Amino acid sequence: MANITAPMPGKICEVNIAPGDSVIAEQEVVVLEAMKMEMPIITTTAGTVKSVNCSPGDAVQGGDVLVVIE
Amino acid sequence: MPEQITHQSELKRLRDLQKRAEQGGGPKAIEKRHAAGKLTARERLDLLFDADSFVELNQLAESQATDFGMQEKKVPGDGVIIGYGNIDGRLVFAYAQDATVLGGSVGTIHGRKICRIMDEALKVKAPIVGLFDSGGGRIHEGFFASKGVAGMFYRNTQASGVVPQISAMMGPCAGVSVYSPALTDMIIMVEGTSQMAITGPGVIKSITGEDVTLEELGGARVHSEITGQAHLTAENDKTCIQLIRHLLSFLPANHLETPPAQVSEDETDRTDDTLQEIVPANFRKAYDMRKVVQRVTDRGEFFELLPQYARNIIIGFARMDGQTVGIVGNQPNVLAGCLDVDSSDKAARFIRFCDAFNIPLINFVDVPGYFPGVKQEYAGIIRHGAKMLYAYAEATVPKITLALRKEYGGAVMAMCCVGMGVDMMLAWPVAKLVVLDTTAAVNLIFRKEIKAANNPDEFRHEMIKAYDHQYSNPFHAASNMLVDKVIKPSETRPELIHALKMLKNKQPSTPFRKHGNIPL
Repeated sequence: MANITAPMPGKICEVNIAPGDSVIAEQEVVVLEAMKMEMPIITTTAGTVKSVNCSPGDAVQGGDVLVVIE
Repeated sequence: MPEQITHQSELKRLRDLQKRAEQGGGPKAIEKRHAAGKLTARERLDLLFDADSFVELNQLAESQATDFGMQEKKVPGDGVIIGYGNIDGRLVFAYAQDATVLGGSVGTIHGRKICRIMDEALKVKAPIVGLFDSGGGRIHEGFFASKGVAGMFYRNTQASGVVPQISAMMGPCAGVSVYSPALTDMIIMVEGTSQMAITGPGVIKSITGEDVTLEELGGARVHSEITGQAHLTAENDKTCIQLIRHLLSFLPANHLETPPAQVSEDETDRTDDTLQEIVPANFRKAYDMRKVVQRVTDRGEFFELLPQYARNIIIGFARMDGQTVGIVGNQPNVLAGCLDVDSSDKAARFIRFCDAFNIPLINFVDVPGYFPGVKQEYAGIIRHGAKMLYAYAEATVPKITLALRKEYGGAVMAMCCVGMGVDMMLAWPVAKLVVLDTTAAVNLIFRKEIKAANNPDEFRHEMIKAYDHQYSNPFHAASNMLVDKVIKPSETRPELIHALKMLKNKQPSTPFRKHGNIPL
């Protein structure tokens, strides 16, 4: 199981996956806006999305778990 | 013992000793290694060097210790193979620890052998490759063995900046011995089988009560992602050796030589319209700077170092018109490309390596600033950030900077701009070379006026437009000679190659001193 966390505080712009989706390594799962930049958050592991803990517009802190992959 | 000494009798004695040395820990121990997916020290050296070029030295050196059963345990070679040979036809020195002999432990002779081969490499100024696979210091030999380890540290330091030093971690390396690879230029770790730690899990458990395995403590993932010690990782022994050979292909033999040039199979004046697609003109959109680098370099090669550590900056080697260059680039995809403590350390050390070995630097800049926050300030971003300034200012190799988009504020100096000794400052037409993001700048300059305006938002908007038009572009900077040339994105490769060619014979001029005092 792998937790995908926010690398820095910011706002969620896009969520590109839903629970049950299968993902491949390097796939973009969430877009985070921080420092006036929309940055893709990628999964480093392939697997199935177990849970999505954020939605567009959410303010998140660095280290917050955004997506869980198993 | 033969009755009379003859050539034959002594040749046989030599053969027996050589055979004993070549067997290392014996067939059983070798079989065990193979079963674990590891190669022996000799197999590693065979792969490292061009066929039949390796010459072993001091093969018959063996432990002189007699205490604690050492008389029976000792093996010719003392658990390390030293020698020299060719890699791509160029002279390289190497030592490889043999974990089948007394666990590859560093005994007195073992340490002296490594020191001896390092001395030789320094005499003739050729690179040194260390293949580490050792349980640590040999305790049977008491304090004597520590002299060898200290001697390694001393020589690593003497050789620093004189010859490239590459360390491959191909097994455990625990205890103070890890400082030898740490003092070298590059570390490659084999995934799953190599670990580095100062204190092992046992000591940690007894002192702090923490439960941790050696892999969790100092495996390849830890050092490539968290500590930044491992520049590269390899799936297995074979790919590790291939990486060493590849890495050496970019490097000169020593500080007096230039890196070996290759015949470029890529057009010098190749233009590329896709660069404008890779880099969005909308500054809110991130992109992968590696893709820019790969469109510009010879055949798209970018030999990235520390790819998983401080990912907000990218460093690595490439070739431009066949000549090795060092690439430093901000990574907008990660932390918006901001500089922070770890990325400053990562870049500064790379810049100094390139400078030491006559490798020109190309800087791809898209930086919004330093990453803000109490954490960064407390972590010492002033001291760590200063390393990058120092490294660039100190570097006498050709320094070429390309501003792609954001050239904001103080972080610009850390990426080597005019005033920092840059030789050629290029910019794309969409680049903004400003002290601050426009909105922030307008809010500061016109704070009172905005407050007093009938329609503050409209007034702010007007001022932003005016400020943007006046300053947020490369043309204003070019008019002040802060940019030497505004170039078409599609012509990035030919422009960089022109600049490199012009700067090829750059003669460094530095004041005499013992050495500077980089903020460490």
